Amino acid sequence: MLPPFLQFVIRRLFYALLSMVVITMMLYAGIMLTPPEARARLYIPPGKGGERASENYIAVVIRENHLDEPYLVQYAYWVKSLLTGSWGYSPTMRADVLPALLHRTPATLELATLSLLLLIPLGLYSGLLSGWKPGGTFDGVFRFLAFLGTSMPPFILSMILLSVFYLKLGWFAPGRLDIATQLQMEKSGFVEYTGSLILDSLVNGRLDILLVSLRHLAMPVVTLSLYHWATLARIARSTMIGERSKDYITAARARGVHEWDLIWKHALRAILAPSLTTMVLSATSIVTGVFVAEIIFDLPGISQVIVIAMSSYPDAPAALGFAVYSVVMVLGLMLVLDIVQAILDPRVREEVLQS
Amino acid sequence: MSRLRFFLSRWQNWIGLIIVLTFTIMAVFAPVLSPANKTTQGVFMKVGRSTDRVPHPPSAEAPLGTLPGQIDVYHALVWGAREAMIFGLLVALGTFIIGVLFGVTAGYSGGAVNSIMMRISDAFIAFPPLAGVVFLQQIVAITIESMGGIYWFNNDYVGRVVDFQFTPPPFAVFLMKVDPILISLVLFSWMPVARLVNSIVITLKNTDFIQSARALGGKPFWIIRRHIIPNSIGPAIVLSARDVGSSVILQATITFIGLGGQSAWGILLSMGRNWVIGPGGDIFAAWWVFVPATLAIILFGTGWNLLGDGLTEMLDPKRAQ
Repeated sequence: MLPPFLQFVIRRLFYALLSMVVITMMLYAGIMLTPPEARARLYIPPGKGGERASENYIAVVIRENHLDEPYLVQYAYWVKSLLTGSWGYSPTMRADVLPALLHRTPATLELATLSLLLLIPLGLYSGLLSGWKPGGTFDGVFRFLAFLGTSMPPFILSMILLSVFYLKLGWFAPGRLDIATQLQMEKSGFVEYTGSLILDSLVNGRLDILLVSLRHLAMPVVTLSLYHWATLARIARSTMIGERSKDYITAARARGVHEWDLIWKHALRAILAPSLTTMVLSATSIVTGVFVAEIIFDLPGISQVIVIAMSSYPDAPAALGFAVYSVVMVLGLMLVLDIVQAILDPRVREEVLQS
Repeated sequence: MSRLRFFLSRWQNWIGLIIVLTFTIMAVFAPVLSPANKTTQGVFMKVGRSTDRVPHPPSAEAPLGTLPGQIDVYHALVWGAREAMIFGLLVALGTFIIGVLFGVTAGYSGGAVNSIMMRISDAFIAFPPLAGVVFLQQIVAITIESMGGIYWFNNDYVGRVVDFQFTPPPFAVFLMKVDPILISLVLFSWMPVARLVNSIVITLKNTDFIQSARALGGKPFWIIRRHIIPNSIGPAIVLSARDVGSSVILQATITFIGLGGQSAWGILLSMGRNWVIGPGGDIFAAWWVFVPATLAIILFGTGWNLLGDGLTEMLDPKRAQ
């Protein structure tokens, strides 16, 4: 018998796999709407003519890739090609899709991780404090900010941030690195280990590079955090309001437990589960937000792939690969949040251990 | 009646109602508020020479100033309200129809069919709409190309360019008219409605009146139409209505980042984005290039959200007692 926690993780992995199957089936059904001749072009490697490929050659490609067979057979072959890593060749990027996506992943992960690490503690903290004394000054300020955060569309906020903090004040900058820093890095023998500038600069002991990369990440992180901070903090606050009048809090207070301990030891645990559930449910919108922030702030993350694919002639392999890859990211984020919740929340932990 | 009184007793609901009504009036009376003339293209009207790349402040012929290229902000704002309203309501309608059909079918079938269908709807939740928007547009592009058209994406807020060397086949004409953003937003936002309707149907199925309708020999379709749909429709309408605001904001976002779509307000912002810091380094020196569109988008979203929250609270059985 496996340890219960591992069982829990395996069950979650299984659900994620199931979602993956449903979504890829739907995506392939979408691709099936186009005629086989058009789909054959997705399989033509670079340098084989692309647009001007002869009809005979296209017929060969259709046969070789089973493009004229029933849906399920085609789907199975496609999944096989996904698993073996051949995600097709993107004509607009002039590169294979999977390496192009993998190469851009560290930048995306950096932005997402940094934002989550900022917004989850901040959301829980502010929600707790304002829900502890609803109607107070802190609560008033909090509710105003949370309202602003949820009603301000992130793309408008980022447009204003860019104008004020980059164009006018010059404190922060879009993009990932400026050319001067890049050249200096190459000269001084900066070694890339992970592709993440934050980690690499720490390993290399280059605090100046760390500062530069943070300067470039500041605006997207703030944009991304504000919106989801507001959603999370509102849930935390309303749960806290329900929790603070419960018997166990009153009993603990009667025993003479200090207010501070009441908040941080008793109430915090109670609000973790609903708050993190909210985060799991908004995983998709967090990932979408990451893409939007990347595009507006010109960060070369994975959404660069669709920007390139959507700027000239049609490029289905890139769009298809991006769709599959972004679903993997969302499911991964959901899994991580689920596991964090299982570790932190005593009730979920009990449930996991008992099942 | 007491529910209506409860709804009207909260100032947030009043604000939501007033904002939504204002936008409705703008949408309906757009031809009166800002009549189109021969320089209009879609929702955009030119006042002055389009070679003039400097935005001009509000004047008699352009009440809210102009953008670079002398595009009238006021005209685009008013007609944009009409387009946004139509777009939002269509998304909500699509969400509602698919959600109710899916939820009712799954719930009424029950058992394994129900769990499989609900798993499928859960899987959709993990799909980022941005990827769907791009994917759908690429499929449309390939299909049109396979019919002999020349398809070209243009990320300069124009969207797409389609060119046929001959008279296009009817299906291609249809594809060129369909808005892929609208379809993908519907495809990726019906799940909450389906889940809600599904849970209502499952609860209803075991109630006495449905059981007796069945015992009397009522056909499944008749029971669904006569008893189940009327009982689950209220909450489903409210839930879909909340999509009006968020889908218009998402459409504006997609247009702004250049991934397609024809959100007029999104285009206004992306045309004016270089003038947010106006001449002299003052953020409000050329305020008319971004403040009206920003306010329109924020208010539209907020209005529908407040209204949706108010209606949800009104229909909440716990609150009604």
